[in-house]
Amino acid sequence: METVAVKVQDLVVSYGSFVAVENLSFTVKNGEIYGLLGPNGAGKTSTIKVLVGVLEPRAGNVQIYGTPLSDEVAAKSKIGYVPEEVVLLDSLTPREFFEFVASIRRLDREVVNSRLERFVSAFELKQYFDTPIAALSMGNKQKVAVVSALLHDPKLLILDEPLIGLDARSSKILKELVTFHAKRGGAVIFSTHIMEVAEKLCTRVAIINKGKIVGEGTVADLRKLVRTAEGSLEDIFLKVTEQEAGMQDMIRALEEE
Amino acid sequence: MYKEVSFQSIFSLRAGSSLPQRSRKDIKQLVANARINTLIGKLVTTVFIAVFSGVVFLPLLISGVGSAVPRDIAFQGGVSAFLAVVLFLIVFLGLQMSTSFVSSKVVDVLSPLPLSKKEISRIMFLCFIRIFDIPLVAAAAIFLSVYFIIGGSVLGAVVAVVAIGVTEIFALALTTVSARFFYMRVTRAGGKSRLQTFLRFGFMFVWLLPTFVAYFIVNFAGQIVQWFAYLSQSFSSISQILALIYPFSYGFLVSYSTFFQGVKNTALGLSAIASIAYLVAAYYCLRWVTRTVRTIGVGGFTAGPREIVRDTLIIPQIAWVEIIRKDLRVASRSPSYASLFLLPVVQTAVLAITFSSFSQIGLSTAVGILVGISLITLLLPPTLLAMEGLGSAYTRHLPMKKTTMVTAKTVLSTITYMISLVVLSIVAICLGKNFLFILTLGMVDAFAIAAAIMLELSILLRKFWKEGFAVGNIYSRITTYIAILIPGYIVALIPIGCAVEVFFLAQPFFWPVFLATAMAEFIVMVAVVLHQK
Repeated sequence: METVAVKVQDLVVSYGSFVAVENLSFTVKNGEIYGLLGPNGAGKTSTIKVLVGVLEPRAGNVQIYGTPLSDEVAAKSKIGYVPEEVVLLDSLTPREFFEFVASIRRLDREVVNSRLERFVSAFELKQYFDTPIAALSMGNKQKVAVVSALLHDPKLLILDEPLIGLDARSSKILKELVTFHAKRGGAVIFSTHIMEVAEKLCTRVAIINKGKIVGEGTVADLRKLVRTAEGSLEDIFLKVTEQEAGMQDMIRALEEE
Repeated sequence: MYKEVSFQSIFSLRAGSSLPQRSRKDIKQLVANARINTLIGKLVTTVFIAVFSGVVFLPLLISGVGSAVPRDIAFQGGVSAFLAVVLFLIVFLGLQMSTSFVSSKVVDVLSPLPLSKKEISRIMFLCFIRIFDIPLVAAAAIFLSVYFIIGGSVLGAVVAVVAIGVTEIFALALTTVSARFFYMRVTRAGGKSRLQTFLRFGFMFVWLLPTFVAYFIVNFAGQIVQWFAYLSQSFSSISQILALIYPFSYGFLVSYSTFFQGVKNTALGLSAIASIAYLVAAYYCLRWVTRTVRTIGVGGFTAGPREIVRDTLIIPQIAWVEIIRKDLRVASRSPSYASLFLLPVVQTAVLAITFSSFSQIGLSTAVGILVGISLITLLLPPTLLAMEGLGSAYTRHLPMKKTTMVTAKTVLSTITYMISLVVLSIVAICLGKNFLFILTLGMVDAFAIAAAIMLELSILLRKFWKEGFAVGNIYSRITTYIAILIPGYIVALIPIGCAVEVFFLAQPFFWPVFLATAMAEFIVMVAVVLHQK
């Protein structure tokens, strides 16, 4: 039986008078890798921040495995989150940071250490384990965020641009982990600007533009939407977000300069 | 560029990434707040310098320190104390800002621009000086103004200019040394060994030293001047040794070049030689500071050597214990937090020194001391929540209960209060005074303090739980800050107030009333905290 992992209804997010997300609704089921695509400032990160409880929406309902976000602790316990901009507790070392995360999540010492050892080895973090996070490179900070998102074996993974800064090896491992997580029955929400990754990894995608979903479904569904038999997700994306028109002229003009 | 320095120092390092989720108007407000906070820091330092100059030099303007102390000797003490205060206040201000400056984050903005290394270095140096501009200029202006009001000579004014210049250069050098060392050995070095942990906690006390000395001098200005005058009068050999030591050498020299009568040739010679030596040292210090700040411009400092990581074991704790552990770790790596954190202990140490002037510890003395410690302790909870701002954009997604947060911060703040109490008791024992009365009074009062802390935290959490605890949120809104502190102070003072009243009306009921009021407040606040969602 398919379980609904995330249910978003009529979500509205605003910053002052600026409406970043307007009446957004979607559901993500167990076993799915749900891609959130959109141009810069489309409202992807705002949506994700609401899902993880970092941002208060102006309106709308969000449920994580049937738990409303108002039941903060229960909802947040089911989520593993990698933020777009990795600002952790920078003065701590990864060891101290993992201790903090594991303690707040009330994880069993033996279980968490066993998981941690595997992840640290996979992402080659051991040598930086006692170095303050502030002194790590962007990629290593990203790895720390990824590992702490996986520590408690969450049912739902919410990853906002998780591949930024990761080296090829870590990027590959993360993609494999995400696929494995979905195969095991977990759910993933995955925001990215890399269309090739979204096309290969995601079971369904939602294209957000100006705070609204302008296309949703599998790549085949989206092809139908733009009435084309061929074309990559990138082509579909540019069409759906109305960025294709005039783009060639713009490129030509830049090349002529 | 200086705006960037202020922003990095105040917000970027402490506010986490909560900025992008704000509207443009809010961000403009935050940037404005960053500049205002920097300005406030400078103005507060300047006000302290001005107030201290008043405390030190006003008696000289009116009638001298006392009839027993000659004016020239009182002036020596005053000048020396003033220079010491300027040194420590500027270092204290500098430590709050310069670690992030030294961390070279600001240079990231400049390096991609088409500027030469020399130009970048020059910009960095000017930015560094701007951190201190108002206090540096004000200290010199205040000193010279006071000097001429007292009736100084032209020669004395020249020496005074040299003295204040040397002091300011020493302050810049001391700030740079501390910030650089802190950045390389503490902030960036990491490590889990006991040595590293010990080093970090050692540094928490090092950061407190300027605070303590400045605080001590401001509190005991009059006594210091008198003590110095007494020393100079009583033992001529000591005054000769003092003439060699900074800042006394300048104290002597300024005094001798102002009051020509009664000049002791040996002391004059020694202070002149020492002052010239300090001037030369200041020249080399200035060169070093210039070079060091420029080093930041051409690539910054590298961290100390890394420890070899032997294992990846972690030891999770109960959530509230872990929050305390995390706060201590963060504070041990941040000069501004460390100094605020241990302020109640400093306050206690200063108060404890005043013990020596009391023959007995009566009710009024004990209550006065406890109220002082309580009021300082209650400044802590907002700071402890502001520390969450460091990574709140991330940590807010963790399943943390408000109750857990309040418990952790309350326990930590109350422990800080208790440490103050222990320090006080130890000093009382050392001075051979009855410590049991003040200890018992303080232990009972701890319930009221804990209740006040819980109240402050509950108000703060109600306001900032969803918004995040960036420093800018809490400290930039002065009205909010005051609105948090006032209820806390009221709750902390009610039991003491009731008990003191009862003491005069029906003395036997003093302890029962005090205990009952404090306990009642504590129980009510525990119930409130437990009912928070």
